[in-house]
Amino acid sequence: MKVKVEVIGVSPPCQRCKTTEENAKKAAEKLAAEGIKVEITKLNVTAQETISKYGVIASPAIAINGVVKIMGKVPDASVIERLIRQRITS
Amino acid sequence: MEKKRILKTILMLAFIAFFIVMMFRAIVSAYTLTPTSTAEALQHLPLWEIPLVYMWDYAQHGWICLGFAFVVSGLLAEFIPKPFMIKYMSSRKPIAYVIAMLIAPLFCVCSCTMVPLFSGLIYAGGGIGPALTFLLAAPANNLLADIVTVQVLGWQIAVADIIAAGVSAVIIGFVVSKTPWGKRFEQNFQKNQTQTAAIELVEEPFDMRLWSALKFGGYLAKRIIPAFALGLVVVSYVQAFFSAEIVEAYLTGPTGVVYAAILAGPLYTPTLIEVALGKALVNLGMAPAATIAWLMGQPYDIPNMLSTSRIIGWKIAITYGFSAFLASIFSGLLYGVLTGGF
Repeated sequence: MKVKVEVIGVSPPCQRCKTTEENAKKAAEKLAAEGIKVEITKLNVTAQETISKYGVIASPAIAINGVVKIMGKVPDASVIERLIRQRITS
Repeated sequence: MEKKRILKTILMLAFIAFFIVMMFRAIVSAYTLTPTSTAEALQHLPLWEIPLVYMWDYAQHGWICLGFAFVVSGLLAEFIPKPFMIKYMSSRKPIAYVIAMLIAPLFCVCSCTMVPLFSGLIYAGGGIGPALTFLLAAPANNLLADIVTVQVLGWQIAVADIIAAGVSAVIIGFVVSKTPWGKRFEQNFQKNQTQTAAIELVEEPFDMRLWSALKFGGYLAKRIIPAFALGLVVVSYVQAFFSAEIVEAYLTGPTGVVYAAILAGPLYTPTLIEVALGKALVNLGMAPAATIAWLMGQPYDIPNMLSTSRIIGWKIAITYGFSAFLASIFSGLLYGVLTGGF
C-alpha cells in the first residue's frame, strides 16, 4: 500500500509550512511501522505547475493522492494520519 | 473520551467568551486600553527604565485588547470558508473587488498566507485588479490591526482609516488593471486557467476546529508580540524625548498630511507598531488628518514593494505604490476638510 502526500507551502518555507511538513513526516513514520508506505513531496504554492494542477490555494495545504484535503492551516500529525487511513480504506 | 471532549470544548468556549466579554466591558465603560504615561513622567526615569515602565503600562491596559484580537483572528482564519473566497476573488467580475476588500483582510493576518495567495490569484488567471486590491487591503485592514487601532487611536480615526484604506485599495486595483502594463501582465497569465486536480476539504469536528483556531491565535501572538514589544521600546523613547514643537510644527495642517504620508511609507514598520508610534506622535500633537495619512502608509513601504515587484514587475509596483501615496494624502486631506481635524 502506498499513499502520496503532497505538502504545499511557500518556498523558502515559513514556520507554518515547516510545521506542516514535520507533522506529515511524523504521521508517515507512524504508518510505516504498520507497513503503510507514505511518500511525501513538497510543492511550492506559487509554482506554475502547482497552480495549474490545484488552482489557487491558501498555504500551507495538504493533498493526499492528488486531492487537496486541508488548506490554510497547520494540521496535527494525528489528523494527517487519519486522512491517510481514510484514503486507504475507502 | 466523549466527556473529555465536551469539557475541553466548554473550556475553549469559556476562554473565548472571557475575552469577548472583557473587551465589550472595556468599550462600554470607556476604560482606556492604551498607556497613560506622559512625557514628563517618563523623562525623570533612568534611560533603561523608560521602556520597562512604558511596556508595563501598556501590558496592564493592552492585554485585553491584544488577547481579544488574537482570539478573534484565530477564529476567523479557521471559520471563514476559504475555497468560497478564492473562487470569487479569482473571477474578473466586480464582485471580486468586493470580496478582496471586505473578506480577505479578515483572515489574512499572516504575510506567509498573503503573498502566495496574491501570486496564486495572478498565475491562475484572476484579474490583476482584484489581486492588487487584496494585496493592499489585506495588511492595511487586517483585523488585528483594526482592533488595536480602534483601541489605541479611537473609533473615529479607526473607522475613517478602514474605509479610506478599503476604498483606495479598490480604486488602485482598478486603475492599475486599466494601465497598458497592467493589461499586458494579465494577458500573460490567461492561459493557466485549467485546473486538473480536485479539492475536497475535510470537515473536522467543531472542537477540533476551535482548538486549531486557538492554536493559530497563539501562533500569531508568538510571532507578533516580540516585534510589538520592540516597537514599544522605540515608542517609549519617542514619547519621552521627541520634541512636541517639531511634531506640532510639521505634522499639523494640510502640509502635515503630506509630511505624514511621506514619513509613513519608507519607514518599514509592522502595522501594529505603526499604530503605537502613531499614538505617541498624536500625544505629541500630530493632527487627526495627518494621522490618517500616517496610518495609510503601509502599502508603499519600500521592502513591501520590492518583494511584490518580483512578481508583478517594477512598473506595476511603482504605479500602485505611487497611487497609494496619493490616496493617503487625499484621504488625510478629505478627513481634515470633513472633520476640521487639521
